[in-house]
Amino acid sequence: MKHTQDIFFTGSVKIEVTGHHPELFFDLCAREGITVWNVIKINETRCVGYVRLRDISAIKRLRRQTVYKLSFLSRKGFPFLIQRVLRKKPFMAGLFLSILFVMFLSNVVWDIEVENVPPEIEAKIIEKLDEYGIHRGAIKFTIGTPSDIQQRLLDDLPELLWVGVTEKGTTYQLEAVEKTIVEEPEQPGPRNLVAAKKGVIVDMFVAKGLPLVKVNDLVTPGQVLVSGNLNEEKTEEEQDDDKEKNAKPKNNVAAEGEVIAETWYEVETTVPMKANYQTLTGENETKFHLQIGKLRIPVWGFKKVDYEHVYKETTSKPLYFLHWTLPISIVEEKWNEQASYNEKRSREKAREEAVKQATKQLRSELGKDAEIAFQKVLHERIESGKVKLTLYFKAKEDITKIQPISQGD
Amino acid sequence: MNKWKQRIEKMLTQHLELPSDVILELPRITTIGQIHAYIENHKGLILFSESELRLRMKDGYLRITGEKFVLKMMLPEEILLEGKIKELAFIEA
Repeated sequence: MKHTQDIFFTGSVKIEVTGHHPELFFDLCAREGITVWNVIKINETRCVGYVRLRDISAIKRLRRQTVYKLSFLSRKGFPFLIQRVLRKKPFMAGLFLSILFVMFLSNVVWDIEVENVPPEIEAKIIEKLDEYGIHRGAIKFTIGTPSDIQQRLLDDLPELLWVGVTEKGTTYQLEAVEKTIVEEPEQPGPRNLVAAKKGVIVDMFVAKGLPLVKVNDLVTPGQVLVSGNLNEEKTEEEQDDDKEKNAKPKNNVAAEGEVIAETWYEVETTVPMKANYQTLTGENETKFHLQIGKLRIPVWGFKKVDYEHVYKETTSKPLYFLHWTLPISIVEEKWNEQASYNEKRSREKAREEAVKQATKQLRSELGKDAEIAFQKVLHERIESGKVKLTLYFKAKEDITKIQPISQGD
Repeated sequence: MNKWKQRIEKMLTQHLELPSDVILELPRITTIGQIHAYIENHKGLILFSESELRLRMKDGYLRITGEKFVLKMMLPEEILLEGKIKELAFIEA
């Protein structure tokens, strides 16, 4: 009985054999290893029985050696069922449409959840997301990647410290941490202000503490500029009166102030005489492809792009079916026209460029409060197509550095 | 010669307790009441109709008669017969 258990899946055919002693044909089949079942003799010359679909060709071959007539009465099983279903066009169309529909729904944003955030920030986040086009019902592949969204949210909402965007199927989950306004730091302990760099003082503003230097003094790194110990002068005068000094409360404060000094810098820069650079002209062409496995089908943008130099940006967005990622993705290609420039600099131009470059470099080192003035070129030399310059700069900047006074306890 | 072979085969089944159907090439017939007959080791079908089934054996043939016969399954050397079995006869040639 076990032999016919899988016939639903493999398919079976009811055959009728006509001829003299038709049952002998079934016997012949059985001897050839073809399973036959439910054989009934209808009358002297006709006999019906069932065989497997896959044995049909073997049976036809056998029949050719005999004088029997063979006819196929009915077909049963899965292969025929599929055949029948495939033949029904409206049904197939409906099935196809429903798959498309499910695919469409799988690529739509169904929900946006914002967690761990006070309501007002949540409202702001949702408003921003709306602006980016992320809302219920939005098509997913028009939306950037989670990290993009994260970055944009962080840029646009300064009150956020961190945003985590996770894409869970059709749901976007956002977690955010709000920046907490830092309380005024605790009252700093007693401290001195010392010089961080060598320089000539041009301006002083002391809010708290005892200034020990004057304008136009030359200071060296480590030198105390503003002392936090207000008793310092007295102790010099009354050195022997130790008892009295100890009796007094220690008069230490946190020195506070700005000491602007003129400092000097030597900056070495190299500027090539020839410059090669590329810029985008702004001309661009966007193309869309449908990528199935390795096959690419152009969907939009058939125009041939005839830019001389092209900078190509490719973004690929996969399609989803329920929670599975399909091997189909929509590929967007942006072709940007690129123009390259060759520039030869004269010596003067190179020097100008070097000064600009060095100023920029120094500015990034000193911070935006410093005042930088170019003084002169100390050394200039051309070496393998490059101009090497040593430049001399003067700067005015705050040179104070905090040095805590140890209380000795 | 043939008689010698038969005697040896008989001896083998009697003394070594080997299954007789295998050694002697005889059909093994299992019936479930009247409704089923399972025949193994037959040597071919001679005749089948609604009321009769004849199977070739080593010597002669086996005849099963009854009503509403259906061959439920046909495999090489095996046949499952379904219907109402009335009679089972060994006919020697």
